[in-house]
Amino acid sequence: MNFESFQNRVLPAKNKLFRFALRLVGSEDEAKDVVQEVMIRVWNGREQMAEIQNMEAWCMRITKNLSLDRIRSNNRRQAQSIDGSFDVRNEALTPHESTELRESMQRVNQLMAALPEKQRQVMHLRDVEGYSYNEICDILELDMNQVKVNLFRARNAVREKLVKANAYGL
Amino acid sequence: MDSKKIEQLLEKYWACETSLEEEKTLRDFFHQSDVPQHLKESASLFRYFEQQRQQMITDVSFDGELKRKLEPTTTKVRSLLYSSLRIAAGISVVLASFWLVRTQIRDSQPQELTDTYDDPKKAFEETKKALQLISKNFSKGQKATANINLLNEAKSKIQSKEEQKIDS
Repeated sequence: MNFESFQNRVLPAKNKLFRFALRLVGSEDEAKDVVQEVMIRVWNGREQMAEIQNMEAWCMRITKNLSLDRIRSNNRRQAQSIDGSFDVRNEALTPHESTELRESMQRVNQLMAALPEKQRQVMHLRDVEGYSYNEICDILELDMNQVKVNLFRARNAVREKLVKANAYGL
Repeated sequence: MDSKKIEQLLEKYWACETSLEEEKTLRDFFHQSDVPQHLKESASLFRYFEQQRQQMITDVSFDGELKRKLEPTTTKVRSLLYSSLRIAAGISVVLASFWLVRTQIRDSQPQELTDTYDDPKKAFEETKKALQLISKNFSKGQKATANINLLNEAKSKIQSKEEQKIDS
């Protein structure tokens, strides 16, 4: 792989890698560090990666592993500090509507944060990034059954809580 | 798209039976602002996903910084290759010239003397023969020079007699 194909095949995935790392490590700066490290590893190991077909899924897997290493070495769970900064600026919304939107975003964020680690990872990869089940199996190193079970549980937990929140007007 | 169809899709979604395209249809539907009241809670989830997708690395310097970190290895590898090639070329030139000079020296020098006999007695006999051959040839030459000496003696006698005549 030369630098040009690296730029075309790997570099465009940086935002997906960043979001996934951010979900795991919780801080933007650390997530950026992880992405950079992933890129450097992929570049240094490019000779062995010639036969990898899905480069992006491969990069996501490295991102997951490096992020988990970081969490382990920092010995702390991911800080759920992504709330509070929901950018809901939209010309079409009145101030009341945008406040409402921001609040509902925060509520969903809390629901997501309460999910077990695996479920949150699977849901992020499927619902935010739009990966196929096979790709998710590759990235998370799980079998198809585990992926489906985790996604099913995640969606149902979120649904249940959303319905509950709505019913109690929270 | 009518909300009946969306409700059906949503049911499939909660049961994890939707395809990626159907999930995209749902996301697109909830992205528009006028969502029916009874679908509001689902809407907030899909909007959350949409909002998550907006998160990006905003640093303009990120790519440049990364490139700087990657490039040293490319130039390092290249320069390493070049310098090792240069060293290899230098070594081969030295080896080639060494070999040439060696063969030339070998050609210009006579071959080293080697022993031809193992038995010293035989060697002595052979040496004796060789020396006798030389002395035989020398003595032949001496006979020839003896004749010349006779001539010289005769000549000098005549010369001395003539000188005595002139003096007297």
